[in-house]
Amino acid sequence: MEGLVEAIAERVVGLVIEAIDINALVSKVDMDALLTKVDIDAIVSRVDVDGLIDRVDVEKIIDRVDVEKIIERVDVEKIIDRVDIEKIIQRVDIDALVEQTELGTIIAHSTSGVASEVLDVVRAQGVGLDDFVARWMDRILRRKSDDWPPGPVLLVSSVSEGDSLAVAAGAQP
Amino acid sequence: MTAPTITSAPVVGRQGNYAGAVTRLVAFAADIGVAWGIFTLTLASIDFAFQLVTGKQLNLGSRQVLTVAGLIIWEFIYFAYQWSLGGKTIGMALLGIRVVRTDGEAVGPRQAVIRTLTLPLSFLILGLGFIGILLNRDRHALHDRCAGTVVVYSWDARAARLRWLAKQDPTTPS
Repeated sequence: MEGLVEAIAERVVGLVIEAIDINALVSKVDMDALLTKVDIDAIVSRVDVDGLIDRVDVEKIIDRVDVEKIIERVDVEKIIDRVDIEKIIQRVDIDALVEQTELGTIIAHSTSGVASEVLDVVRAQGVGLDDFVARWMDRILRRKSDDWPPGPVLLVSSVSEGDSLAVAAGAQP
Repeated sequence: MTAPTITSAPVVGRQGNYAGAVTRLVAFAADIGVAWGIFTLTLASIDFAFQLVTGKQLNLGSRQVLTVAGLIIWEFIYFAYQWSLGGKTIGMALLGIRVVRTDGEAVGPRQAVIRTLTLPLSFLILGLGFIGILLNRDRHALHDRCAGTVVVYSWDARAARLRWLAKQDPTTPS
């Protein structure tokens, strides 16, 4: 008996739904008034976002994404134009890079020799002694030469930018 | 007054800076040595060639006036020619310095010749011509002032530092 009633009810509901013009019904509803009554925050707070995320299979989504197609649509030139290469290079610790990568070995193999090593040492010692003498002269003459121009304008301005990194790192050739 | 210490820390980043007294002095000494060596070798070669051809001894070394005159001319050519070419002599190249105009431009033949001609002046006034290297802000010697030149470091100390770093063991903490 119950089964018969349920079957009739399902049939009736189906007929009613088919008979109703949903669009006409919705057009009569004052959606704005309805939405003002809805407490979105309350709804959101009830949603278990973590649980929802846990149920999402990210790998599956990524598998569906056509990365190649996306990359094709990306204007790399435009991105590069926006990147401040100078700023990035300034943030790179060149010394650490040379010390910890094979780049150092490449530099060593390509540029070094016994003669160049000796020259480097002699020159470095020379510059060190130059500074030593200059500092003594500053002390004897009670002057401050730190504010003096380090070299001719054309030369100093052209090399100072690249070398500022190295000055910070210190030198021990 | 505490004595200033000798450090190598500021070496990197000196390219284009005014060169100091010690480097310039050593470079000059090296140049004198090289120039004198070439001159002596040339005299010996001429003597040897003369003896080989004629069987007689020319002995140029004993003709003092001729030798001194030749040495002066040779020294002039040695310095003026090299400075006019690339702003550096053999000694300066070894020590990593070069001569440029006061604004940093490369020196021309005119400056090179004036610098060479006035270089002896710095000696002739009891070496006082060189005192400017210690006192002046742009480290001008007398002959620099006359020629409108300065001496700057030209070697790439940064590359030297990188080479030095490259040779270090990567596992050793710096």
